[in-house]
Amino acid sequence: MSADAYIEIRDLHFSRGTRKIFDGLSMAIPRGRITGIMGPSGTGKTTLLRIIGGQLKPDSGSVLVDGVDMARVSRDQLFELRKRMGMLFQSSALFTDLTVFENVAFPLREHTPLPEDSIRDLVLMKLNAVGLRGARDLYPSQLSGGMARRVALARAIALDPDLLMYDEPFTGQDPIAMGVLITLIKNLNLALGTTNIVVSHDIHETSSIADQLYVIADGRVIGAGSPAELEVDDSPLIRQFMHGRPDGPVPFHFPASTLERDFLRAASGAGNRDTRS
Amino acid sequence: MTAGSRATVFARFARSIAALLQHLGAQVLARLAKLGQASVMWWLAIWGLPRRGDFGLLVRQIYSIGVLSLIIIVLSAFSIGSVIALQFYTQLARFGAEDAVGLGLALVLLRELGPVVTGLLFAGRAGSAITAEIGLMKSTEQLSSMEMMGVDPLRRIVAPRLWAGVISMPLLAAIFNVVAIYGGAVVAVQWLGSDPGGFWSGMQDAVEVWEDLGKGTIKSIVFAVFITWIAVFQGYDTEPTAEGIGRATTRTVVLSSVMVLALDFALTLGMYGEFK
Repeated sequence: MSADAYIEIRDLHFSRGTRKIFDGLSMAIPRGRITGIMGPSGTGKTTLLRIIGGQLKPDSGSVLVDGVDMARVSRDQLFELRKRMGMLFQSSALFTDLTVFENVAFPLREHTPLPEDSIRDLVLMKLNAVGLRGARDLYPSQLSGGMARRVALARAIALDPDLLMYDEPFTGQDPIAMGVLITLIKNLNLALGTTNIVVSHDIHETSSIADQLYVIADGRVIGAGSPAELEVDDSPLIRQFMHGRPDGPVPFHFPASTLERDFLRAASGAGNRDTRS
Repeated sequence: MTAGSRATVFARFARSIAALLQHLGAQVLARLAKLGQASVMWWLAIWGLPRRGDFGLLVRQIYSIGVLSLIIIVLSAFSIGSVIALQFYTQLARFGAEDAVGLGLALVLLRELGPVVTGLLFAGRAGSAITAEIGLMKSTEQLSSMEMMGVDPLRRIVAPRLWAGVISMPLLAAIFNVVAIYGGAVVAVQWLGSDPGGFWSGMQDAVEVWEDLGKGTIKSIVFAVFITWIAVFQGYDTEPTAEGIGRATTRTVVLSSVMVLALDFALTLGMYGEFK
């Protein structure tokens, strides 16, 4: 793996109950670049971000963030490390009892001894970067989905983190909001040199900004490379995913008995249950 | 019945007993694990170092947990006090002992009803609100995002609520007692015409600071610790869905009400002891 990796994941195993989510996943996230992590829904992309952020502990394997193993640090160290991370949640997760201004000011008030007027300047700078300086007095319930995500972005960059994680930033956004977000992510990366992880299943948007892509499925990495390389990759699963084909290695049908047997059973009055076992 | 079929029946019976025991064991283990989680949460929250601005958070919680519970506490106290006075008066008047209404009322309230009824009302009014609020914060990922910002939700969200509950509830119980005794006095003295001198001096003679007031206050502090602990943990542990929050809120009220009644018995036994 490359020497300038900001995050190194080696042989990660993780399961929820009896369901295996990661089964020997390894990847390296280069420093100061935008890395896209893509894969069908339900492959544990969000779980991966939570493991990197130390909110979930892997069953085995190691996750090194800037050389620190997230599974081995103490609770206090973990909170210390997280000050250098920013995460944009899919639901934006703004504090509903605080205004836009106070939401962005929150991490600054918690972690810095700055006087009020410096906090004000910083918050307005961050809000200006996402174009919402004028919305500072609104409450999260008064914002549209796209605006809420931009406020959450301003909050995530409030402490100038080294690592920014975006969880499905494009989902549910209209084309204009999507364009704004793409430009913002790109510009923030260029301006601050932050290491970025974009978790998404929107291929075109992610391909357009990412320097490197990982495709995960069935708990492991099935494809890695630059967007251009993956575009012409000829493994069937990656082709199906990159070109959005409805059927292929990932089947269209949820596992079930054959159609004929289901109909025959209905005719014999055996009810609605699937009795495959 | 042949020997073979009897053996099958027996085997099936043994299997179902084993399954039952296994289920029971799993349930007990799951409960114990939850208890462990709840204890760790409580411990971390209580010892989380306060920081600049935390006092403001505490004051806000005392307002929403304590001050906003005042109306229901005062109304219930007044009606309970007056009902007790009414019952005592009609019974005691048959023996010509109307003067004992005051002392009976005070003892019943200070020792038992004050802390217990306040506890039940507090669980319903404040406990459920705490659970619902924290549960919603969890399901909208606000707790998660706070964690990812390096801010410990146990310190920022849980600790102020725990402390506010422990501070507010004994005060609410004290207010409950005062209002209920006043309600009793209104009924017994003003309305039914019992002798005010007998009412108040009987009370003054019978009530002891430690034995009645002190031990009653200890009860209300213990109830407060358990109610807020249950409420906060149920919120923190809630399944992040609409039904999950509903279930957690119900559990808070049911669990803390039962807890208050059970603890009350244990505390009465322990503190007033030697009944035999």
